[in-house]
Amino acid sequence: MNIFSNIQQSFYNNLIAGNSYLQILSGLKTTLIITIAGLFLGTVLGAALCAMHYSNSKILRFISRSYIIIVRGTPILLLLMLLFYVVFARCRMEAIYVAVIAFGLNGASHIAEIMKAALQSVDPGQVMAARTLGFTKFGAFYHITLPQAGEYARPVYQNAVINIIQWTSVVGYITIADLTRVINSIGARTADPFFLIFTGIIIYLLLAYATHLIFSLAGRKRRAAR
Amino acid sequence: MIKVENLSKSFGGLKVLENVNVEIKKGECVAIIGPSGTGKSVFLYCLNALQTHDGGKVYINGADISDKKTDINKVREKMGMVYQNFNLFSHLSVLENIILAPVKVKKIPREQAVEKAQKLLEVVSLVDKMHSYPDELSGGQKQRIAIVRAMAMDPEIVLFDEPTSALDPTMVGEVLAVIRSFAKLGFTMLIVTHEMNFAREVAHRILFMDEKGIYESGTPDEIFNNPKKPKTIAFVRKLKTFNYKVDSYNFDLVGMNARLELFCAKYNIERKKIDNVNLALEEMITYTLQNCFERPSPPNIDITVEYGDVDKTIEIEIVHNGKNIDPFETKSLKAADDGGDMDELGLFIVKNISSSIVYKSENGVNKYKIKI
Repeated sequence: MNIFSNIQQSFYNNLIAGNSYLQILSGLKTTLIITIAGLFLGTVLGAALCAMHYSNSKILRFISRSYIIIVRGTPILLLLMLLFYVVFARCRMEAIYVAVIAFGLNGASHIAEIMKAALQSVDPGQVMAARTLGFTKFGAFYHITLPQAGEYARPVYQNAVINIIQWTSVVGYITIADLTRVINSIGARTADPFFLIFTGIIIYLLLAYATHLIFSLAGRKRRAAR
Repeated sequence: MIKVENLSKSFGGLKVLENVNVEIKKGECVAIIGPSGTGKSVFLYCLNALQTHDGGKVYINGADISDKKTDINKVREKMGMVYQNFNLFSHLSVLENIILAPVKVKKIPREQAVEKAQKLLEVVSLVDKMHSYPDELSGGQKQRIAIVRAMAMDPEIVLFDEPTSALDPTMVGEVLAVIRSFAKLGFTMLIVTHEMNFAREVAHRILFMDEKGIYESGTPDEIFNNPKKPKTIAFVRKLKTFNYKVDSYNFDLVGMNARLELFCAKYNIERKKIDNVNLALEEMITYTLQNCFERPSPPNIDITVEYGDVDKTIEIEIVHNGKNIDPFETKSLKAADDGGDMDELGLFIVKNISSSIVYKSENGVNKYKIKI
């Protein structure tokens, strides 16, 4: 009975009092914005890097390869700080934009690798068969390579998404009030960090689970056609 | 319909095809045969520009396919191709595989394409599999679908690149039957194949490829019964014989036996005779390895088995370049013959199951001929 009322008390102190839950929701919103926008930017850039990797130009291939090696090897937190404190320091860009750019740049290096691997796993014989049926190079890519590569990439891409969600927890370093930072500051105020950290973990878990649901729904749709 | 002039193709420094000239008329069914690695498939790939050739010209219906002004996709629409490993689109159902190109490339209305696909599936009796996916089909079924996929484009020419090479022996027949039925409909066909009986029966003309080009060509009768040039003669002869080379002390006896059985099965040779041939070979090889060669220098024994249709005998020829010992003249064997020393039991058995044994030694080459 005592434990139960303790939890109830903690719940009220940490989440309800002073409208803490509103702060948490706004932190969650920030986290989601950075994730989704960063993912979008990363996917577009990643596709471009992947296209460069398969281009005929030696220079483009070199750029793509070096970009991936450098950015993938740089910790996201350092990249974030570099952009915020050095590159965009003068133009006073809002921190959240800087975060989106940082996650876009970092995500691109991973996503380009995922796309490369997925494209490589498509059987070249099937592309050849499409060409002999009269498809143009683009037609064969669009009708044969792309759908198959998409299927190969899906589970790995899902992983990349969950990774980005979790890595956004470091944006507090550049003054952004994301979910982690909000939880940290409420915890500091109420002096009950355990309860809040626990809440934070559960929210991140739910986000990962939601991602999983979205992806498996997309997969099920495709398999339902069979 | 197809005209090839002085076609050349090399990979790096290796010349695969040199000055190939051939003309194929509408409605002709041509089989391309020959030893492995003589450019049969490469030749086929050059015809629809899947491989770019280095020299010469290829004309399809008068269009030069290496000319930049020629729309190669338009040419390919008229040329179906069937591959050794099927290359069905794995993410699409059988029906989608068949109608994809007609709908997307030829812009035929979908209903019409589906109707046509159904008709073609009836021809190959796979209507039931219309909504299956390639990974649910057997090899033979996959290849029949691949043929239908090519046919759905109404091609004028169909190229087959070893259509049965990747199939289980049990499935070869169903695929050949389908090709045969399309051949009867008067398609122009080029078939690279190792199925000689099929080539003989279905083709109007045989191209035998060797030495970087078409080495000899002619009707099936000319090539299989009256070949003129030495390599063709050797190739056709080899079809009728079993060859094996022992070049290691630990040679693959089980593998050799299995291949010999396959060879014997072609001629419906009785069980007992097959066992005897296997036995004689095993004993002779073991004897020769032990007595005529010294480790570590590698052995070199060539085995040829030929079946005589007329007198129903099997002739085994064993040629080796080891010590010239006539095993059947050694003392111990004679003793064994008398029921004495049984050291050479193996040779004794060979002597008993064979109808004649001839031994010859010339210029350091030893030859046994054993008839069973």
